[in-house]
Amino acid sequence: MALIRIDSRLIHGQVIESWLPYTGATVIVVANDELSVDIMQQQIMSLAIPGGVECLFVQLDELEAQLSDLAEEDVLVLVSNCADARRAYDLGWSYDDLNIGNVHYSPGKKQFSPSVSLSSEEEGCLRYLYKKGVVLDFRCVPNDPVQVRFPA
Amino acid sequence: MAETGQEIGAGVLVVTHGAFGRELINAAETVLGPQERTESVGVDVDKGVDKTVEAIRSAIQRNSDNRGTIILTDLFGGSPTTLSLSLLKSEKVEVVTGVNLPMLVKALQSRQKPLAEIASDAAEAGRQGIKVAGALLNAKPGSKKGKH
Repeated sequence: MALIRIDSRLIHGQVIESWLPYTGATVIVVANDELSVDIMQQQIMSLAIPGGVECLFVQLDELEAQLSDLAEEDVLVLVSNCADARRAYDLGWSYDDLNIGNVHYSPGKKQFSPSVSLSSEEEGCLRYLYKKGVVLDFRCVPNDPVQVRFPA
Repeated sequence: MAETGQEIGAGVLVVTHGAFGRELINAAETVLGPQERTESVGVDVDKGVDKTVEAIRSAIQRNSDNRGTIILTDLFGGSPTTLSLSLLKSEKVEVVTGVNLPMLVKALQSRQKPLAEIASDAAEAGRQGIKVAGALLNAKPGSKKGKH
């Protein structure tokens, strides 16, 4: 698996310009129930994807089946939040590493890094995955020096 | 160029990562003088998508006239662009990406034209503004550096 990333922006500059070249992924899979039925938003997000990179939009419960059709090392999976990352895991895809890129702040959340703020539910999702042995990687961009203490 | 009693034209919005847009507008105003209905929206990744779209939408509504608003964004594929595009159906806007100072200046100078024309003029100016200046100098006949 090239990467699974939590990013509230899903496909955007950091993903296209930094993570795609860094991982060499040739397929982006966006696992998001809302987006999987919003064709216009899918078109907008796919606009700037370089030629040679495929982009697929699936529901969370279709993710595992979709991945079994693809070569592991070519894929970059995007989910928009911690709960979806946990659901994907519980639905049967036990990934080893999780990149936590952008989780936006809102009142009541604890800030862990410049780009990651977690509510207690979100912390709970990550803690659950951590206990399952998933390696948590808090880099926003590939050459991020950010070190996050988790669990805090 | 704010003319008293004359129409200003379409609204101009610069939507970028961080304060890039704000500084671009500052720079354009040193060249053209103060501009009205011209605003920047800085997209911070620590704000949720919905809040950011609302910030762009209210900036559009503050600055539009019946022509609409021209939106200039920094990076094709970046969230300033994708979030602005999501408003294409509900607001009268056009989005041009890759904003640079020549593009912004042209947009401000063309804002009384129809929206689609402002967009194509701005895009062209943005492109034309990019030159390898030293090579141009070398190619000039009689230049001190001579031909290379």
